[in-house]
Amino acid sequence: MAKALADVPPKGGFSFDLCRRNDMLVKKGIQLPGFRKTGTTIVGLIFEDGVILGADTRATEGPIVADKNCEKIHYMAPNIYCCGAGTAADTEAVTDMVSSQLQLHRYATGRESRVVTTLTLLKSHLFSYQGYVSAALVLGGVDVTGPHLHTVYPHGSTDTLPFATMGSGSLAAMAVFESKYKEGLSREEGIQLVSEAICSGIFNDLGSGSNVDVCVITKGKTDYLRNHQLPNPRTYVSSRGYSFAKGHTEVLSTKIIPLKAKPEVAVVDAMEE
Amino acid sequence: MAPPLAQWSNPLAMDSDLNDPHSMGTTIIGVTYEGGVVLGADSRTSTGMYVANRASDKITQLTDNVYVCRSGSAADSQIVSDYVRYFLHQHTIQLGQPATVKVAANLLRLFSYQNKNMLQTGLIVGGWDKYEGGQIYSIPLGGTILRQPFTIGGSGSSYLYGFFDQEWKEGMSKDEAEKLVVKAVSLAIARDGASGGVVRTVIINGDGVRRNFYSGDSLPLWHEELEPRNSLLDILSAGPANTPEPMSI
Amino acid sequence: MSIFEYNGSALVAMVGKNCFAIASDRRLGVQLQTIATDFRRIYKIHDKLYIGLSGLATDAQTLYQRLVFRHKLYQLREERDMKPETFASLVSALLYEKRFGPYFCQPVIAGLGDDNKPFICTMDSIGAKELAKDFVVAGTASESLYGACESMYKPDMEPEELFETISQALLASVDRDCLSGWGGHVLLVTPTEVQEKALKGRMD
Repeated sequence: MAKALADVPPKGGFSFDLCRRNDMLVKKGIQLPGFRKTGTTIVGLIFEDGVILGADTRATEGPIVADKNCEKIHYMAPNIYCCGAGTAADTEAVTDMVSSQLQLHRYATGRESRVVTTLTLLKSHLFSYQGYVSAALVLGGVDVTGPHLHTVYPHGSTDTLPFATMGSGSLAAMAVFESKYKEGLSREEGIQLVSEAICSGIFNDLGSGSNVDVCVITKGKTDYLRNHQLPNPRTYVSSRGYSFAKGHTEVLSTKIIPLKAKPEVAVVDAMEE
Repeated sequence: MAPPLAQWSNPLAMDSDLNDPHSMGTTIIGVTYEGGVVLGADSRTSTGMYVANRASDKITQLTDNVYVCRSGSAADSQIVSDYVRYFLHQHTIQLGQPATVKVAANLLRLFSYQNKNMLQTGLIVGGWDKYEGGQIYSIPLGGTILRQPFTIGGSGSSYLYGFFDQEWKEGMSKDEAEKLVVKAVSLAIARDGASGGVVRTVIINGDGVRRNFYSGDSLPLWHEELEPRNSLLDILSAGPANTPEPMSI
Repeated sequence: MSIFEYNGSALVAMVGKNCFAIASDRRLGVQLQTIATDFRRIYKIHDKLYIGLSGLATDAQTLYQRLVFRHKLYQLREERDMKPETFASLVSALLYEKRFGPYFCQPVIAGLGDDNKPFICTMDSIGAKELAKDFVVAGTASESLYGACESMYKPDMEPEELFETISQALLASVDRDCLSGWGGHVLLVTPTEVQEKALKGRMD
């Protein structure tokens, strides 16, 4: 009975009950697994009338490319988006948690979310985990006080900048920004510069690759340009592909389980009195 | 000390020092003068060997009349000053008048002392109030509080002790004090690898607050420092007529 | 040795036209010692939703029990089965809860959603979702599986062809991994029926 109670859906927070066992395994000389990282290039800049965020789309697990086209620009609020680098599970979880808090805050206040609110929620979560939740973020958005761009580091420190880069490709991308960024870029120039910075990461950093995602946020309008550029298309697959003759594979046994069709729900007129 | 190059030549070493906690290898200064205080700081924030932010603002506002210079871990100093700002605002409302510099400094001291095992930050508080005029408090690592006529902090400060012992004088004017601060920060920037960028100052006195900014190329050149040069891109785009002879630099 | 290599496993799921297949090897080992050659890593959640759990078998079974429990609570409360997307979020939440002391499991989830739209997804051991349109892999043979699937997969395969493709990809891959193999299980799920097949493979 006690066990059953313990298994009742938890109210939230982390559970540490496997830590002791896992530590014991480590002491026995067993390696703990690495987690999926987004060895990443993420960038953001402020332009004439808003903010542009950019990201590559490669997720890695050690040297293996785990996902060739993942999404690293996360939704926070309709007017706020956030690029994530670091451990994939952490960036995903922390942005999801904060975006739900923001949604509740909007329901309660009936006002558009602000970027600083988002920033404070993110940094207080990350600070309280002392860098163990490894999410490095580029946060951008336009609110009632204008366009904002921030970087958030895993330990909970934040910076406010006109242009920012993060992730393993941040040096490559920053080189592009440092040489070409200027104030008051137009929308097209901004998108072009962001794409160029991401491409610099894609081609010069092994942890980053595949495509360019861009998100343009202006007052009252957000354009998520998923796969804005595809600089690495597949070229090597044959159009016919491999084909195997039917019955080619040796099968030992086959069990066929027919599925019941879903019962049609009859449309009945509403009851009247 | 040169960084081990191998670390950088392996791009898959994503756990290289880019992921280190942000720290502000810093130069921060607080100086009192006749009628007020001048706070000064450089603008470099680094993660290991990488300059994560070259234009950061390490002089943070706590209340209308009290500012704090932050050094050490960026995350820790931000969280401490955010909390103290929050409590000071509350205190101001309850009191119905501005918080004194002493209260602000003691609140920072309290946080630094009570969480001394978890925090890695040194602070310099400066401000003006009608009771005691301009005041500078230093709150170093363990949570001590020291009221001083002038104080310096951060990694760059070790280059400045002798300088201040010689140059600081009682009863300086505002301009003298600010000049001293800018000169000191620029000296530290020249010698300390972890300090750099621009110099920011905040002057607080009975008339209010003034922020000043001194860009990197406006600072004086010290021993063996070179004139700032245009970037290679500018030289190349200037066209063949202006292209310097290779290897002539 | 990595803890993921303790029992050995190979898991793969592929999408076809209005159908999907999920396949695994049949070996359970303790390091290099083979314990069982008819082990099942693919578990049924409901008729059109399956989860394969690679990694440490003890954690896989514990996690499966918790998932069944949570799915039954959902059925009682909602009087319907979970959508694959919902289920993937549940698995992700359960794994991320143990962020600092994880289950050593890498799940592969495959299901048919509303309108019989196939859904496949995998995660790392702390619940970072990876949604894919084509195929997902997990286990000690994952590196070979990536290569095999990358070249053998074609979009919009009919069930028969999908079965051949996933089986060949699996068998080819486990032959290059000593920790998995001993034949395979394949589940081929279409809107009207589920075909469960046992594959013959090398027994060495």
